Amino acid sequence: MRTKYLFYLLISMVSAAIIFTCVPASAHFGTVIPSDDIISKDDSKTINIQIKFIHPMEMHYMEMVKPKQFGVIHDGKKYDLLGTLKQAKGKSPDQTENFSFWTSEYKIRRPGDYTFFVEPTPYWEPAEDLFIIHYTKVCVNALGKEEGWNEPVGLETEIIPLTRPYGLWTGNLFTGQVLLKGKPVPFAEVEVEYLNESPGNKNIVIAPSDPYVTQVVKADSNGVFTYAMPRAGWWGFAALNEADWKLKYEGKEKGIEIGAVIWVHTIDMK
Amino acid sequence: MMKKIHFVLIFVSVLLLFCTNAMAHKVNLFAYAEGGKVFTESYFPDGRPVEKGKVLVFDSQNKKLLEGITDEKGLFSFTIPKMDDLNIVIEASMGHKNNYKLKKAEVEAGK
Repeated sequence: MRTKYLFYLLISMVSAAIIFTCVPASAHFGTVIPSDDIISKDDSKTINIQIKFIHPMEMHYMEMVKPKQFGVIHDGKKYDLLGTLKQAKGKSPDQTENFSFWTSEYKIRRPGDYTFFVEPTPYWEPAEDLFIIHYTKVCVNALGKEEGWNEPVGLETEIIPLTRPYGLWTGNLFTGQVLLKGKPVPFAEVEVEYLNESPGNKNIVIAPSDPYVTQVVKADSNGVFTYAMPRAGWWGFAALNEADWKLKYEGKEKGIEIGAVIWVHTIDMK
Repeated sequence: MMKKIHFVLIFVSVLLLFCTNAMAHKVNLFAYAEGGKVFTESYFPDGRPVEKGKVLVFDSQNKKLLEGITDEKGLFSFTIPKMDDLNIVIEASMGHKNNYKLKKAEVEAGK
């Protein structure tokens, strides 16, 4: 009788432990959102870029200190843009306090693809007892030359788009490959969220229950995942892994969740 | 034997047709002024250069100022012909055509 009780107790403790580690408390996403993802010849050549750390669907902001790295890759060359960042403040309609985010202006000078990338300063998340670093990127196409979008930036972890990451219709599939230190991550877990503050979003999407907020897909044995985007606006894909290094918080070594995040934009077929 | 060769030739030609059609939808031209010259770059969407494409340059009154031919890298440059809005047209083979407008302010900035 006693052993049976102990057995059930053990089972429930193990299940609880599994649930706690598998289900994220809330889906944090690094964002890097440009004012336009396709620059045509008659468009303004200057784009505004906003860098945030938020819950995209619920629109909650988190305080973001100045990123460690912000740059762009164009035509195989990396350019440091950290010095162009300006601090700004924002919040969701139901938040009372303002939080910091970062903006930059960038002038497109040549045709081709521009992949903007951010390495944030590690964010301490007390609720999960770990640091979070979301390596985040977005691709902007300029002047009809579709070259460069599938080139890796060389971040510790990143998603390589297998679908060209711009010029996407609502309902299109987005396919990407999750890399960690340049190698595919078999069966990586990828969280997907809609950015409710997408420009042009007709109405704020309210999720009927929690699983609708963050969509979850698993990659295959080559780290390749696919998701069909059901609405016009910005979609974020975050592949989460644990870093093989630690950071100290109040003198104690803590784990680090490293996320590979990519943002893509869809529009409705009219 | 001849019949076989004919068949192969037709098959290859059809394949070639498909190849060019798939990629050659659109030509693009990009231009900027720098150091007293206007530099143009002509390319297909996948980044391949438009070789031996005809570049025509018009002023704001639609008067042709000059023309030239792109090199193997799709490039063609010329000395700034006039401080004006320039309409630069690329004409590639098979009637593929596109243009790029370089505003007067941009031309002046590249004096």
